[in-house]
Amino acid sequence: MQIVVGVADMKISNQPQQLVVTHALGSCIGVAVYDPHVKVGGLLHYMLPESSLDEEKGRQNPYMFADTGIPQLFRECYKLGAQKQRMLVKVAGGSQVLGGPEHFNIGRRNYAALRKIFLKNNVLIDNEDVGGSKARTMYLEISSGRVWVKIIGQNQVIKDL
Amino acid sequence: MSLVPQVLRSLKNLPPFPLVAQRALILLNKPEVSIQELVEVVKFDPAVTANILRISNSAYFGLRREIHSLHQALLLLGTQELLKIVIASGATRVFSAPTPGYFTERQGLWRHSVSCALMVDLLTRELSLPDQATGFTAGLMHDIGKVVLSLFVEQKFHEIMHLVEQQGVSFQAAEKTVLGVDHAEMGGEMARMWDFPDRLRLAITYHHLDRPEAYTDDLTLLVYLADILVMMFGQDLGMDGLAYTGYPEVLRHFHLREKNLQRILMQFGSAWDEAQIFFGLMGNQDGVQRANRG
Repeated sequence: MQIVVGVADMKISNQPQQLVVTHALGSCIGVAVYDPHVKVGGLLHYMLPESSLDEEKGRQNPYMFADTGIPQLFRECYKLGAQKQRMLVKVAGGSQVLGGPEHFNIGRRNYAALRKIFLKNNVLIDNEDVGGSKARTMYLEISSGRVWVKIIGQNQVIKDL
Repeated sequence: MSLVPQVLRSLKNLPPFPLVAQRALILLNKPEVSIQELVEVVKFDPAVTANILRISNSAYFGLRREIHSLHQALLLLGTQELLKIVIASGATRVFSAPTPGYFTERQGLWRHSVSCALMVDLLTRELSLPDQATGFTAGLMHDIGKVVLSLFVEQKFHEIMHLVEQQGVSFQAAEKTVLGVDHAEMGGEMARMWDFPDRLRLAITYHHLDRPEAYTDDLTLLVYLADILVMMFGQDLGMDGLAYTGYPEVLRHFHLREKNLQRILMQFGSAWDEAQIFFGLMGNQDGVQRANRG
């Protein structure tokens, strides 16, 4: 059964029959975490790097921002028994339009914000597919923890993360 | 081998632009539009009228009272808002065919077009520019060329994508190289055949800013920027992804910094949620489905 994660949204699951998916990652970033020991996983689709942009919005919807969404993703997984040291972390998205990297670079900033949070908290990214100008769809299979990315419009899996 | 002759031949079979929308486009240029004129435009098409009332009552416009008549809609929303709704309701039929050269989802082009129209409106407000239905309409129509070009892009998709990936050129530039014509030019040609107002036609033709003429009108720049922001937002992205060029001079022109863009994207998320009724105009329930089924 497919569970869809929208823009600025997150889903956590420990139901082995569920496939968590987020469609159409542009400059947004998808973060999938999974603890293989308890088979608990979560997928976050955030849109912007920092909630300092609008703290009220960050409280209303923490999944809008990296700095409010990512901690929430981990916390919700802990509630279902996941443990940080066992969790696998996969990242996709952060695309950019063509041209100089110094403009329209929300995709890159989104990625930078995530790296900063992970460095501070000693979280390692196990695998990632970020940047470029592709539109990605990201999947997380709860039974196995398998994470993969498809390019929109192309049926083959382009990357198993 | 260039496909241009074949592509141009396909234009011979271009269906007429829907009458209601066509008539509404003419009203875009008028400073004042009376209720009689608007009623004249929509009165022969009950389906359009029904859609107008549905949209007027949607969360997007946030009216407190329920609207039962065109007259009431005009009083509460004003001419320009109502014109947008009339044009969106009237033009849906043009977007009803799938465009598999660009979008996997049947309604992908419609959804992208509506998103771009909403984004133009949002930018207009953010920049305190006069809010005219022309901006919304240009956003809605900017990719109309894809309706016809889709067939040819589908045939040559791998060649086009190969150029994008190997040479780092935009999808539009690759279309031009492979097919001899790109979707923006194609849209401009269609706009000419349909007698669109000049400003609208030029905004369609130049919306990727690939020629110096593009910079003569802020309308074109707004549509360009809205299109780019909608791609960054990501929902209903096409197979062309974000493979279009970002021009920083447009941001400078509008005095927009990155924080402004972030704020605009954030607000767009809410507008997009509230405007689902527009997506649903195609007549099935996909309008409430949040995601592109990639």
